[in-house]
Amino acid sequence: MRRDGMPLRRTAAVVAGLALAISAAACGGGDDPEPGATGTGAEGSTLIFASSADPAILDPAFHSDGESSRVTNQIFETLVATEEGGTGVAPGLAESWEVSEDATTYTFKLRQGVKFHDGEALDAAAVCANFDRWYNFTGLAQSDSVSYYWVTVFRGFAKNESDTLGKSLYGGCTAKDAGTVELKLTEPSAVVLSALTLSSFGIASPKALKDYKADEVSGTAESPQFTGTFGTEHPVGTGPFKFGGWTRGDRLELVRNDDYWGEKAKLSKIIFRPIEKAADRAQALRAGSVHAFDYADPADLESLKSSGAQVLERAPFNMGYLGFSQKTEIMKNQKIRQAIAHAINRENVVKTKYGAGAKVANAFMPDSLWSYTEDFTTYDYNVDKAKQLIAESGVPSPTLEFCYPSGVSRAYMVDPAGNFQLMKADLEAAGFKVTPKTSPWSPDYLNTTQAGDCPLFLLGWNGDFGDPDNFLGTFFQSFSSQWSFRNEEIFKALGDAEKEPDQAKREALYKQANALIADFVPGVPYAQSPSFSAAAKNVQGWVPSPVLNDKLASISLN
Amino acid sequence: MSLAQVETVAPEEAGGSLGRDAWRRLRRNPVAIAGAVLVVLFVAAALLAPWLAPYPPDKPVGQVTPTSIPGPSAEHWFGLDDLGRDEFTRVLWGARWSLVIGVVSLLLGMAGGLLLGLLAGAFGGWVDGVVMRLVDMMLSVPGLLFAIGVAAMLGSGLDAVMIAIAVVNMPVFARLLRGQMLAQRRSDYVLAATAVGVRRRRIVLGHILPNSLTPVIVQGTLTLATAIVDAAGLAFLGLSSNDPSIPEWGRMLADTQRYLSSAPLLAVFPGLAIIVAALGFTLLGESLREALDPKYRR
Repeated sequence: MRRDGMPLRRTAAVVAGLALAISAAACGGGDDPEPGATGTGAEGSTLIFASSADPAILDPAFHSDGESSRVTNQIFETLVATEEGGTGVAPGLAESWEVSEDATTYTFKLRQGVKFHDGEALDAAAVCANFDRWYNFTGLAQSDSVSYYWVTVFRGFAKNESDTLGKSLYGGCTAKDAGTVELKLTEPSAVVLSALTLSSFGIASPKALKDYKADEVSGTAESPQFTGTFGTEHPVGTGPFKFGGWTRGDRLELVRNDDYWGEKAKLSKIIFRPIEKAADRAQALRAGSVHAFDYADPADLESLKSSGAQVLERAPFNMGYLGFSQKTEIMKNQKIRQAIAHAINRENVVKTKYGAGAKVANAFMPDSLWSYTEDFTTYDYNVDKAKQLIAESGVPSPTLEFCYPSGVSRAYMVDPAGNFQLMKADLEAAGFKVTPKTSPWSPDYLNTTQAGDCPLFLLGWNGDFGDPDNFLGTFFQSFSSQWSFRNEEIFKALGDAEKEPDQAKREALYKQANALIADFVPGVPYAQSPSFSAAAKNVQGWVPSPVLNDKLASISLN
Repeated sequence: MSLAQVETVAPEEAGGSLGRDAWRRLRRNPVAIAGAVLVVLFVAAALLAPWLAPYPPDKPVGQVTPTSIPGPSAEHWFGLDDLGRDEFTRVLWGARWSLVIGVVSLLLGMAGGLLLGLLAGAFGGWVDGVVMRLVDMMLSVPGLLFAIGVAAMLGSGLDAVMIAIAVVNMPVFARLLRGQMLAQRRSDYVLAATAVGVRRRRIVLGHILPNSLTPVIVQGTLTLATAIVDAAGLAFLGLSSNDPSIPEWGRMLADTQRYLSSAPLLAVFPGLAIIVAALGFTLLGESLREALDPKYRR
């Protein structure tokens, strides 16, 4: 997910959804099966899931929000999947794969006998048709707000229509035979494999895409309108559930795909009902009108538990950090950066402001991600050391301009103003002077920090897929004005790691990069925090995925 | 005042200046005493906060977590806040900030209002028309909304808040002073002064203005109460200092919203402080108004 879990441009969709919700609620019937009434038989049970909002669109290529991917993850499948409950790569529609020596050619062996919900066969040609569709997007479909993840991973299109797009990493897809897909890249990249686990790369039926005019997008980049019906009425994939109907603002139904190639879903039906507020979702669960929901407020966990519900922890796959922009002279001083790292009592910040399960972060990636080992320099809370470093820095009475955002709460930064105040007190105790600066999260704060105009700033990152590149590479692979530093050693280690096909060598490179980053202190990572989901007592087999790739087919009700 | 009444008044209390008379009435009014006590308490807390407060206002002094925020105890009379700071200390320091914001914004607003009122009242004619239409326009926008607009325009910061509150209060003072001055202008002594050839500036500044100030003083006391409440309101809405660690009552209220179910006292203490301070100034202001009003003079 992008830095801002629910991007602003989705707000428009949510607002529209809410408006529809009101009208739908006015005329909607009350024919919901009560969870208590159904769900006794393992074969004929219905799960009611409280979502936070309506999905934006059910065409995987066009969404980048968690509400949409939660649904499309059940309808569509990707070439490679995320391992259950983790972030590693597991077989998906491809049973096996090979990456060439130079990391430019990926060969996927497809599963045999897989059929789309419309009866079409999933073969290499169908897979390549999807890749070619994404690569050949034109017009509005190229905008960041429509095909965000294609742009993020593959950088550009066949014919780029904007200067901000780069040369595409995609070099072509060939169906070697019915069961073999060969994906070519224009540059070596070892990251594409784990990026392909993103729900946005779900494989859709080429026939349905064509029949229901999936590529028709109108409106504006801020508020795209999908005129085709593929993403709203006919999403056709290969997954364990089929689309069963969608009344915006009221309910979205999925029904079991009885022709599924793998283990069939235990539920016969899933109904998603949008309930915007966390407190209302918790209340709905306690009242027994829904079975499960995501993004529980840590403050509600105790009452949920005492009402007999289960609380599930989504392992942290994010990190909050205090960033430094080295645009200003004082932040170029490494002793000052080290002094800040020693001055901040990160343990106290995490304890005071984060819920159960949150941990201190020591690196710019979650400690659950592969290649993480703590053999790098760490900075313990030590005021005397900080004072000593300030003295050595040669800066008399250092003053720090410190920015924090208002109007935002994220798992990695629950209360930004609270974090700011704790850190300010710590910095002042070590002898720094702090000048506070604040602005609304979007767009002011994000713009100022990205331009590097904040010497000290609070930010964080939610991971998209299980690759260190998604964290370290995003931050430090090349010069960015946000950090405003050039450290060729770090840039090179991360660049090499991105291109290295050999997993063991990649691991070594990321370890090296983590060590270099820790010594250089471009910022201070301080928190990684889980998010929480809740389910009724009788819900079994739900494994929340750290990267939000939950497969609800494993759930049963008893 | 009838002749019969005059006879019943004790000699030392009869006659005397309006000021002495007012002071006597004030002293005997329990409401005024209560108001004065609250105001004295508030001002004392504000002035003596650094010496009275047992802990630093912006440093954590104990460990808290989102689910366990200790309430009142012997060491921490009002408990700890959501960042582990001493709540009693912060409420005390909050008085200091409220007083600063209240007094500064009051003085600014008074100065601006008096200037406008003076212009209108002294010159009359088209100047009066222009100034009063401006005042009408300002008064037609609801106060807090107006303040939000002004503060948002000026950008974040305490000075923006103080200016916003001052701007909102300006028209009230302008209208008040102008009304008083118009009444004075037609009075006999002004006519007399004009007749003997006293210069206009001297009449306005030396005679009309001092004689018109009494209601302004009363209004000032009352405005201090609303200024404190307005400042808290603006802070609650996020318009306050850039530094959230400044103990400001409205901000303290806003910041503890999310702990309303687990630690409700964190909202109660700053809320009570706001009420007490505003009540003190209101009671005092109202009794002052009564005391200074010649209609109540016996």
